[in-house]
Amino acid sequence: MAASRPGSGLASDPGGPSMRTGGRRRATRRLSVLALVALVLVLVASCSPPRELSGGGGKNTLQFSVWSYSLETINDNIAKFEAANAGTDVQLSDYPWNDYHDVMATKFTGGSPPDVEYSSDHWLQEWVSAGWIAPIEEQCAGVGQYKSEWAPYATQGMTYNGKLYGLPYYADLVILIYNDKMLRQAGFNQPPQTWEELTRQAQAIKQKGIAKYPVNIPLKKDDPWSIEIFYSLVYSLGGHMFDGETPVFARPGSEAGRALQWLVDARDRYQVMDPASVEVSEPDVVKTMGAGKHAFTVLAKYNLAELNQGNHSQKGNFKMALMPGSSHGTVGFVRFYALSSAAAKAGKDRAAQSCKLLNYFGGKTDGTYKVVKRWAVEKGLGFANLPLYDDPQVQQAINSWGDAKLERQQAQLARSKEGLTRFWGTWDISAREQISAAVSGQVGVQQALTSMEKRWAELR
Amino acid sequence: MGGAALARTRRGAPAGGGAVRTASSRYRWGSVAPVIVLVALFTLFPLAYAAWTSVRGVLLTQPGSTPFVGLDNYADVVRGSAFRGAAENSLLFTAVSVPLVTVLGLAVALLLNQHLPGVGALRVLVLLPWSIPLVSAGIMWRLLLHGNFGALNGALLQLGIIDHDVPWLSSPRLAMFSVIAAHLWREFPLPAVLFLAGLQTIPASVLDAARVDGAGTWQRFRFVILPLLKAPLLIVLVYETMISIAVFDLVYVLTGGGPGTATTLISWLAYVITFRFLNLGQGAALSFLISLAILALISLYIRIVRVEGERP
Repeated sequence: MAASRPGSGLASDPGGPSMRTGGRRRATRRLSVLALVALVLVLVASCSPPRELSGGGGKNTLQFSVWSYSLETINDNIAKFEAANAGTDVQLSDYPWNDYHDVMATKFTGGSPPDVEYSSDHWLQEWVSAGWIAPIEEQCAGVGQYKSEWAPYATQGMTYNGKLYGLPYYADLVILIYNDKMLRQAGFNQPPQTWEELTRQAQAIKQKGIAKYPVNIPLKKDDPWSIEIFYSLVYSLGGHMFDGETPVFARPGSEAGRALQWLVDARDRYQVMDPASVEVSEPDVVKTMGAGKHAFTVLAKYNLAELNQGNHSQKGNFKMALMPGSSHGTVGFVRFYALSSAAAKAGKDRAAQSCKLLNYFGGKTDGTYKVVKRWAVEKGLGFANLPLYDDPQVQQAINSWGDAKLERQQAQLARSKEGLTRFWGTWDISAREQISAAVSGQVGVQQALTSMEKRWAELR
Repeated sequence: MGGAALARTRRGAPAGGGAVRTASSRYRWGSVAPVIVLVALFTLFPLAYAAWTSVRGVLLTQPGSTPFVGLDNYADVVRGSAFRGAAENSLLFTAVSVPLVTVLGLAVALLLNQHLPGVGALRVLVLLPWSIPLVSAGIMWRLLLHGNFGALNGALLQLGIIDHDVPWLSSPRLAMFSVIAAHLWREFPLPAVLFLAGLQTIPASVLDAARVDGAGTWQRFRFVILPLLKAPLLIVLVYETMISIAVFDLVYVLTGGGPGTATTLISWLAYVITFRFLNLGQGAALSFLISLAILALISLYIRIVRVEGERP
């Protein structure tokens, strides 16, 4: 260094060894101080709170986590909420549905939970046991009044140990969707009433060259829908997965065994189900159904709206039918807005703001379920809020792509998922893997069910 | 401090300069302190924390309770129903992919070492797969091999080679070989470059001498080139074995370990246990077991392929 600033201590060799030693000592100290400062900065950066309730300009900022679906609608709803609640900003984060549970678990345990987030009936017990979400009736005054207007399976799906943990985002059914035009081309005027009849219709469609694989059902093991679809098949046969917390699916002659065998036979024996079913998720099946590659699928009901209204070559040809089988039962499920424990404990201000957000999205504004209705009318999402069935606008919307009467009939036959415990979410991952293994021929039906039962016992 | 001052410090101080030596020592420590702090913070601490985690019951769904469980996590992982299948899959994957990627890399290097027109451009192009991020490569291969709308099936159908879609990713057997194919495509450029560098250090006179002695192409390769490539060969074998055992991204994007458990490799299982089952204790234990397996294999390679210190 050729020159030095006054008092910098980094002198430019002005004299003898002692002066050089002093310079080095100072340099050493300076480097050590710099290292210490760097370390402190790193630690401060990693330990600082992820966000502040009071943001810049005196505004409150709430974190809202959702899975990626129709973000433009969510953002528009947020803009309306912000306009109605001056001084509150909502920061939205979205994650793919397939990864949502894992991401949220990491956020909760990593110390950066959102204030309000999407959750689901099948995660409720796990999230409550882990202390990630808080009961909302204690925090958000007045939300209890909605309970009397919800479908029972939805209330059940948001309640644990007698406490309510959410307001419904949407509640829907798993249904059979078929391409009416393809069925008529094959000479059928009615959808199948049983799974055997569905196989016969599919064989006829295949033989007539209308579709190479008339059936496609999303069974990719990473897709959380696959377990709800499998439950639906079991329910449609009048069966059960659990008796309380005791698995019954692996018992000889169980409906679960019959349902899984039907899937295996449809793929391998009758070759009416697309072999790629074990590698496709819900969006893939919507696309291929819409393109006319298949005639039958089992999906959440809201997909019927997309198939009949979206940009698909077969748009308008799709109908729903009661689930085939002796009981026509199916799964009814609820996804809901939950309040993080962190937000509930963060003080009255944040908890109150979070409750407002929760209530705006899942409750009533100006006497109506504004956001829930919007999802139903614009996107065809199902709902647990029964009064909406009497809303003419909602009825008209449903009938434009579906069948309100049939939907109500199917809803009455719907049941929530059995066996929901705090470890159900972990078991579900292994169960989906075994279902995929059986359908792809990697293991036998009974072997898959026994593995699922064994896994349940391990987790219990 | 100027360069001259630093130079004097390195050479040492005159007699009686004990204070200077102390200062010099402090300076050295001060210089490396930031690096030591960073390594401690980002490598040693996580490693120690992982070791601590592996002997405790750490379930993310049961926060606040992390009892000491000794080696139970290790035992539970090994006894678990998924471990054996995943270990077998990883062995198959490694046993097939490491020799193939090595041979492919060597073949490409031998080709690129020829004095052919356009070989310069080829040397650049061959690096292309390696430069593509692994996740992007996985997505590309998924779109290529998808059973419903894959480009490969589309091309084969149009060419009349097949009459129905091949379930590249939904047949348990084909799915594993599809993952291996994608892995080979992504991995061969590095061995090719390493072997090419090794080939270019072999003096032409050595090969000429072998030729004069009557050695044919195969004999020159077997007895001259290959022994001189032992160093890059060792590096390739060690690196590719580590990568094959630790490969995760490709499985994540391409198959998610499926169908069923057909492509569940040991590294994927560690991810599932840690981030899906949220069992950090068992996940850390399995990660340590994987690390030990890799270390053991590397030691084995080093024993088998002894690098000659000097060229003949």
